[in-house]
Formats: sequence, C-alpha cells, structure tokens
Amino acid sequence: MRMLNLTVNGRVHDVPVDDNELLLDVLRTKVGCTSVREGCGVGACGACTVLVDGRSVSSCLALAVRHDGAEIVTADGLPGDDAVVEAFVECGAMQCGYCIPGFVLMTHELLAENPQPDAEQIAAHLEGNICRCGTYPEICAAVTSAAARGARL
Amino acid sequence: MPVLHQPRDLDEACTLLAELDDPMVYGGGTAIQILLKQGLLFAENLVDLSFVPGLTAIEATATGIRVGAMTPLRRMETDAQVAGVVPLAAATYGHVANPRVRNTASVGGNIAHGDYRLDPPTALLALDAQVELRSAHGQRRVPVRDFFVDFQLTAVEHGELITAIEIPAQPAGSASSYVKLSSLGENDWPSASAAALLVTEAGRRTLRLGIGALAPIPQFVSVDVSGHDLETTVEAAKAAADPLIDPIPDVRGSVTYKRRLGLVAVEDAVRRAWKDQDDD
Amino acid sequence: MTETALREGGEEPAVGARWQRAAARGKVRGTTKYVADLPVPPCAQVAVYRSTRPHARILAVDVTQAAALPGVQAVVTGQDLFALLGERLLTGPAFADQPALAYDRVRYVGEPVAAVLARDLATARAAVDLIAVEYEDLEPVYDVETALKGEFFVHDVLRPSSVFGDLSHLRGKRDTNVCYEYNLRTGDVDAVPTDGVTTVSGEFWSPPVAHVPIELPCTTAWVEDDRLEILTTTQTPSYVRQAVADLLDLPLNKVRVRTSVLGGSFGSKMYDRLEPLAAALAWSQQTAVRLVATREEAFLLTTRHGAGVTSSMSADADGNIVAATADVAYDTGAFADVGPRITAKSGMVAAGPYRVENAWIRSRCIYTNKPSAGPFRGFGVPQVTWSHESLVDELARELGEDPAEFRRRHLLREGDEAPMGTVMHSADFVGCLDAVTDEIGWTTPYEKGEGRWRRGRGVAVGMKAVLTPTIANAVIQLNQDGSATLMISTVDMGQGSDTIMPQIVAEVLHLDEGSVRVVAADTDTTPYDTITAGSRSTYHTGNAVRAAAEKMRDKLVDLAAQRLGVAASDCKVTSGGVMSTTAQETVSISDLMHGHFGARGTTLTAEANFTTSWQPYDHETGRSRQVTEHWFAGAVAVEILVDTMTGRVKVEQLAVAGDVGRAINPTLVEQQLTGAAIMGIGHALFDELVFDQGQIVNGTLLDYQLPSVRDVPAKLTAHVIESAHRTGPFGAKGVGETGILAIAPAIANAVRDAVGVRITRLPLSPERVLEAMTEAGVS
Repeated sequence: MRMLNLTVNGRVHDVPVDDNELLLDVLRTKVGCTSVREGCGVGACGACTVLVDGRSVSSCLALAVRHDGAEIVTADGLPGDDAVVEAFVECGAMQCGYCIPGFVLMTHELLAENPQPDAEQIAAHLEGNICRCGTYPEICAAVTSAAARGARL
Repeated sequence: MPVLHQPRDLDEACTLLAELDDPMVYGGGTAIQILLKQGLLFAENLVDLSFVPGLTAIEATATGIRVGAMTPLRRMETDAQVAGVVPLAAATYGHVANPRVRNTASVGGNIAHGDYRLDPPTALLALDAQVELRSAHGQRRVPVRDFFVDFQLTAVEHGELITAIEIPAQPAGSASSYVKLSSLGENDWPSASAAALLVTEAGRRTLRLGIGALAPIPQFVSVDVSGHDLETTVEAAKAAADPLIDPIPDVRGSVTYKRRLGLVAVEDAVRRAWKDQDDD
Repeated sequence: MTETALREGGEEPAVGARWQRAAARGKVRGTTKYVADLPVPPCAQVAVYRSTRPHARILAVDVTQAAALPGVQAVVTGQDLFALLGERLLTGPAFADQPALAYDRVRYVGEPVAAVLARDLATARAAVDLIAVEYEDLEPVYDVETALKGEFFVHDVLRPSSVFGDLSHLRGKRDTNVCYEYNLRTGDVDAVPTDGVTTVSGEFWSPPVAHVPIELPCTTAWVEDDRLEILTTTQTPSYVRQAVADLLDLPLNKVRVRTSVLGGSFGSKMYDRLEPLAAALAWSQQTAVRLVATREEAFLLTTRHGAGVTSSMSADADGNIVAATADVAYDTGAFADVGPRITAKSGMVAAGPYRVENAWIRSRCIYTNKPSAGPFRGFGVPQVTWSHESLVDELARELGEDPAEFRRRHLLREGDEAPMGTVMHSADFVGCLDAVTDEIGWTTPYEKGEGRWRRGRGVAVGMKAVLTPTIANAVIQLNQDGSATLMISTVDMGQGSDTIMPQIVAEVLHLDEGSVRVVAADTDTTPYDTITAGSRSTYHTGNAVRAAAEKMRDKLVDLAAQRLGVAASDCKVTSGGVMSTTAQETVSISDLMHGHFGARGTTLTAEANFTTSWQPYDHETGRSRQVTEHWFAGAVAVEILVDTMTGRVKVEQLAVAGDVGRAINPTLVEQQLTGAAIMGIGHALFDELVFDQGQIVNGTLLDYQLPSVRDVPAKLTAHVIESAHRTGPFGAKGVGETGILAIAPAIANAVRDAVGVRITRLPLSPERVLEAMTEAGVS
C-alpha cells in the first residue's frame, strides 16, 4: 500500500492503493466516482473512460500508481451547465445510459482538439466506444450540437 | 500478482532488468493489463518506465526522426513533426485500436508486444526504421526489418529495453499509404493490412511494402518498379507479396480468405500511394 | 405520424408527447445509480470455479488448498449445496435442469462447479486457481445434428418445472435431447397440387450470438434477521423472488429482490442467472456475498439460440402462396431456460406474415453441451424471419415479380386469419412495408454498378406475437402536493418504461412532465409483474397503470363531489385540479387532499391488475383462435454496397418501420427502432459466438464484435406506424423487438439483388459473401 494523490474533478484525494490496483477500481471504491464503469475490461468499450490531464484513458487498463499527482475528470464532475452534457440531454443521446458518460468525456477531448469536427472526425474519435442500445445517431448529433455551442472544459 | 518496480532513471531500469527474476518492461501497459486479466502473463516483476525521464521526446535527427519509446501512439498521429517527416508513420499510427488506447499505449511497447496484427510495424518496415535497445551492457540498434523474429517473439533480449525508434525521413518525392481491411466490425483488428511507400532515388523507382496480420510476423518486401505504370506496379507488388503471405486462420477468416484479402490490401495500398504521388 | 390534438384549454396531452427520457441528465453525467453502484453491506467477494469439460461426471472436487489460502472465508461446492438443498438446487423457468453449482455432472465448458468467498476478489480468484476437479469425460453433444441422433444425452431425464403447466406431460421422459416440440398443421401441404406450382426451399442457419449489454451482471445477497435480501441486475424481479423462495424453501415475504435501472439487457438478465447461486451462498453461509461477472463470464451466462430452419414456400400459377413448410431446430445448450416457449412462439410464425392456406411446421428445442441459450430481443423470431423472408424474396424472383409488391399482395391484413388460426388485429404489415419502401425510393431506378462496388436493395417484413398470458400490477400513490409515485415491477433497461408509464398516469390525471416518479422494482413494495421482456410492458403494465390512474381519477372526483356538494358525474379532472361545471369551481389536488385528510404530505393510493388470457394452442395442430394478445408488425428496407474484391457489405441506407399501435412517446419509439436496427446490422454482418469443441473462442470484446459508430448506415430512419390496438392503453403496444426482426433478411435480400447470390447462413461475413460469389461464378 502507498498513498496516492489524485485530483478528481478539482478535489484533492489522498488514497491508499496497492501497486496492482486499477484506476477504475480506485475511482469507484475509494473516491466514489460511480460514473466510471467496467464494461469489457480490455479497453474496447469505453465505459470506464476518464480524462487524465485532459486526455482520455481507459481506466480499466490503467495502473492507479502511475497516476500519482494526476488531474482526473469524470463525467459526474463536469460543471452543472456543461455544454456537452446539455447537448447530450437535449439530443436524447442516451437509452440505458450506462455507456454515455464515456461518450461525453470522449466528446470533451475531441472538441478540445478540434472545436468543429466533421462527421468523419467524430466517428474516428468515438469508434472505440460501444453503445449496445445503438444510440449512435443521437450521440453524433449531440457532438455536433455541443461543437456549435462552443463546448470548453 | 507480479511486483511493480518504478525506476527513476534508465540505469536503474537496466539494472532491475538484469537482476530481477522474470522481469517484463511495463510501457503503456495496455497489452500487459489485458494479458494479466487473461491469466496469460507469467512475469514476476514489472519494470515501469513511466518515471524514467527522456523517453517521451520526439526529436529531429540528421536523417529523420527519433521517437522515445514511451511516446504515446496518439502523439505519432497528432505531432506536426512526425506528419511532416514521416507521413506514412503518422497515418499508420492513427489506425491503432481507438484514440483512448492510443493515448496510453507506447511506441516502444507496441512493437515489443510483437503482435502480428499491429498496424505500426507495416509502416516502420517500409520506412526502414531502427530500434534502439539498451541494457546494463550498453546500447545497440536493430533494424526493424530484423526485429520481428517469430510469432510474438522479437529481437529484444533478456535485460534489454527499447529506448527509441529512429525513423529515416520519407524521401522527397515519395508517396505512401496505409490500408487496413477488417472482416468483422469496421473498427475491428485488421484481417489484412499493408503500408506502401513509393520512392524515386537515383533514377530508380522502388516500392517498399510492409504487410501485417497476414503471417506470424509482419513482413517486408521491396520491389524495383522502375519504368512500371500503375497496373504493372500493382501486379509486381502482388507477386512480391504473395509468397510472404502465410495467414493464421481465426474467427476473422480462413487461410484462403486472408490470403485473398492480403492481396487486396496490397493492391489498395499501392493504388492509393500512386494516387498520393499524382496529387503531389 | 399522428400528432395528438391539444386537449381542452390548450393543455398539451401527455400521451403522444416527446417527453424527455426519465433521468436523462443523470444518465449523461453518470450520476444515475446502477445496481453495482448502490450501497450494500460489507460482502465476501465471490469467484467461481468453472468446468473445463463440455460433458463429464464430477468424480471429486478438491478444495483443500483453496480453503487454506489466507483471506478465503469459505469454499462451497455443488456437492455441498446439493447436500443442503437436494433437488431444489435445480432451477429454471421451463425445466428444473439448472443447478446453481454443478454437483454430479458438468454440461458445458464454463459451468460453475465451486465458489470461493474471500475478503477480496483477487484472493477469491487466486483460490479458484487452487481448486482441483477430477472428471470422468462423457461423450459431448456439440450440435443439434448430433443431439438428434439420440446416441448421447445431455440430461438423463426431462424435469419440467412447476412454472409452465403445459409442460407437465414431458415429466420423466428419457433418452432424448429434444425438450420440447411444437407442431403446426394448417390445411394439408401434401395435398397441394404440384401442377404449375413454383417451390423455393433452403436450409437456413442463424448462429448463437451474445447479448453483451455493457453493464455486467451483478448480484449481492445478504441475510438480514431471518430474511434474504438480494440486489441484482434482473429484468424479472418477481420471478427471481419465487425462484429463490423455492430454492431455499422460504416464504415469499422472507425474500426481497431489488433492482435498479439496468445498463441494457436485451434478454440476458432474466430468469436464473447469478441469483440462485448468490442466494444459496448467502443463505448457507449466513453472510453477505457479492457476485460480479467479468465480461468473459458474462459470455457464458446466456446466449441467443443458434437455430437451423429447413424450409420451403410454394406459389401456384397465379402467384398465390399455397404452401409453406419449416422444420426449425433451436439449440438451447445445456439448459432449457425458456427455450420451449421460444420454440412454440417462434415456430408458429415460421410461415411468415402471409396468407398461406397450407402450412407444416415442426419446431424443436434441443439440448447440447454448450452454454445455455435464452431469450434475446426477438425471442427466437429473428431466426425464423431469416428463413421466411429469404424464401418469399426468392419466390418473388422466381416468379419474376417485384419482391416488395409480391409481399404486399400476400401480407396478412386486419381480420385475416394467420396460419396458426388467430385473426389479425392492429398489425399493419402493409403500412410498415409502404413506409420503408417509400423512404428508400424502392420504385425509382438505380444503377447496380459494374465495377468493384455493386449496389443492391432489399426488403423484409417481420411478425411476432406478444408473450401471452401474462400478469401486470400497478400501484399509484398520489401525494398531497399533486406529485405522484408509481409502483410497478417493470424494469427500465433503456427501453424507457420509467418515462412512458408516467406519461400514461399524467394523461389520465392531467399531471405535468416530471410529476410522476417510478419506484425501482423492489418485491417488498412493488407489485408482481410477470417479466419485463418480450415487448410486453407498454401494453400489459401500461394497461395496469392506466387502470390504476383511472381509479385514482375516480377517487379524486368523489372527493371533489363531496367537498363541493355536487354529483360525481358533474366533476372531471383537469390540469388545474378537479372541476365542477355546476359549482363553476376547480379544486386543486393539493387543496382537495388537504381538505380531506386535514394534513399536508398525505397520500392517496389506487391499484389495478391487468391480466391477459389466451387460448392454448392445440397440441396436434398447433392452432389457436387467440394465441396472443397482440402482434408486432415491422418492415425494413435497405440499400447496400458489396465490395466484390473483399466481400464486405456496407449498409448505406436503412429504413425501419414498426406498428406500435400508438406511440406513447414517439422519440423513445424511434430510438427503439433505430437501436434495434443497429443491433440487427451486427447480427446480419458479423455478430457470432464461435465454438470449438463446445468452448467459446471469441468470448472477449477484443474478439467479439459489436456495432460501433462506424457500422451505422449513413442514412437511418425510423417510421412509426400507428394502427391502434382496441385494448391497448390509448391504443399502444410495445416496440422493443419489432425493429430487429427483419434486418438480416433485408440485408441478405439486398446482397442477392446486388451480386446475385443467395446466402442462407448468418452472418453475412465478407468471407461468406465472397465464397458464395466465387461458387456462383460472379466476379
């Protein structure tokens, strides 16, 4: 066990972790971020996506101890009036909703790099996230809508 | 569970690799975590390079570009220098898995994994990259064309770690493309892939081909296509690639299908490179 | 789409409105709590030892080393549980054939044999690796062909459960792998004259596929005083309570089953999954246990039935469909699950939604040594639709007719008797077909192309009966402030029941959006509901909810009549409260209840039951005048491209239509249709569980492919057809499965159109397409 310093959604956490613990489990069980979820365990579905220092990471494949001092953003920590969240809500971009926080964070990363993505660029960025309910058309519309609002983290 | 070691510099990392039982270098860690979960990783010690300085630089060299082993794959597609000096590499790295995995997976770990289906080796083969290795005994360089030895086996020896990949600049006037064909979902692993690089130097025209997912290791072949038109170049490329194709059958296709698909990948890559050259 | 007229006073109606999905913001931000996110007592973490053999006798299970590992609290074997529970250990909705842990014999690779309870999951898993099992191999039965030879048997004896009374005649039957057989005999197919008759036939195959909801199954069970509490990812809380009560021989009030919204399910989280094991472990050890399936384990819990259909369809010289035959074999794996129901309900529509005078169908449910197959969106119907929609297309082509027009001519219409003897109502196949063919411009000419990419169009129609008979209950609690709480055991898995049930309440009681909240299913408080599955909730639970709301309305009217001293017939509920015409006064719900009870925060309760009945089909002929409460009708049209060099099929445009009777919430209905279509594209093109000697070889998301954003057609449209059902709530029926029925045949029919080959095995992988083209000499 060693102490890990994480800033999660702007709040500092010092949590004891084992060397082999995954960031996913630490965030869920020790920080209380249940918006970060396991779906496949192999980085293929995106349900466990978090932003680490602004970049998307599959927390199911990330060793927690490698992220000492990191700034982590999870979907539940986004500001109340977050433009991406608003766009997803208004476009009805959710069915069961389990995978959606991952899509929201991928959208943030995309728009930070490319504020006006076209359809191909949106697909290229979201292709590693699976929505089994098949909400892709609404999700893509939400990304475009968020871009139009000028989403910024 | 293996023990995690986090050396603070390269010498310490090399010492650990030399002295520990069954050590394995932990780069980006994406493949290692998957193997751990599947119960397929038998290392007792993991040597994590994330706190070793100097392994994430992308630097121009006299002949091209040098990329630190811990550089995330995603930087290869977004970095302007990479796109300018080795556009084929930039394009190919952008096809690995998905952006999230590319943020974590590292350039060194990617090739060290030695998976025959990986995208980057095809471009690195065509570009004649060199792999820089380091151990407690010193440093050596291995041409990427000699790096992949057998199924999931590379030239990295016990006690060694990859510190960088050096990629020669794509020659002026060259043209290139990378083609990845999948047989299941659009975002699946490739069932066949090909990187094509057309180079004109000293009056000779050469087609350099790297092909992936079609044999136990990525394959390379170079063909003199001086004086060829597009159609004869395509035929020459397919003829040269054909003997290298030795597919592993799996849920993505039989040997026969993958062989056929491999030749389509080669043809598509050559045609696109040709078009790329016409467009310049 | 019909737009609902404004109600009196310009008030927006609730039914037909595009209300925002319940908990929309919570789902987007991730603050919505799924089962694994809810607080539970400290638990032993459970890891499961799974069989490495497809079929074997268990000779010995050595847990000594595992039990000695520090941190291990207990190791429980199937034999331990059998000693405690006897044959009650065997559960299952149709047959009591599924042990929570195998105790005498294993029947598939991956079957649970022992469970380790430990302080953490890593320890539990490490202990599992120390368990040693000695097996004596038995001859495995890998496929239905082998199973039907009758040489080796997955189960020695058939053991119908007490759930479905009509299976009792199978009790004690030996020496068979066929656990159910349904036969349909309409007219006489053998008596059809052969003169001038055109017959097409084929052998169709749909492989087993996996549901893969992204939420993993999770069950926590603990003992509280003398009761067992279970928090679990299930679509069937009422069933689970009964199953666990039977397993442990407890009264129903000593078992509490709770769930939350589910992160998708599609049929995978119902009946007996992790719950019997969790319950048996918690009760036998008198402790709290938590079981979470890994993705790899989830692949072993349930699958969609692989199914073979050998079938034919014949037309006379005038183009009338005179006969249809289908011999259907459902591979149900090691356990029957609800396979017998699937076998009958799907078998009976294997002739398709057409006027067919003579039909012969045999549909069998067959055990094999593979993971158990169960319900999956469509309940076995996509497998038979694959057959009849390929056949009818080929028949049209043989006759030189347009495939859409040929179907249109023969589709069942209102009042027609379907082949199994039931008269059609509210199943507008023609309307669905018209909508999708119009959308893709079916009658406008197009270039198929001559180069590498060839273009084709295809169409298909789907028909499915709703699960009947079933039972639904609803309790509405109206709060003194005019808000309401709805207690139902319907589980929102993404289909939107938490949104549309409040719309039904709000429509009756004239409440606003957001004023009705649905309580998560909890068998201590929410009333019995058969299951949330088979697209039954909108109709069944919706009717119970509507009836309960109407009772509440009557109560309010009575209260207002008393208060205002007018006749109840003079009062009606409006958006402002209850209005009396005579008294020229409207009393708000808040005032009315405050006045009645003399306190704030009081509640008024109303409840209702809705039960459907059916006429069981005749066991000889398979016919019934009312085999179902209502029908789902759907149609799909696609335009695709085939890459003739790789065989890859790319869906360019897809239009999907469904007759929903009446859309309570059109947005949610459209999402169900397009979502099902996207899932169906996966089933058509690449979804497939691949087995090698009974073992799944692609059971991880690295190898098992699901449609991504890349697989969505450039143009995808949903078309809501509303042919109101006479007894549906406001005319409504369900829609969850409608969109998926006809996707695969529509795409295959388009491949036939584009490159001239008829493929009868799914999926339409590039290799299979290219192989078929090579065989047919198409380049």
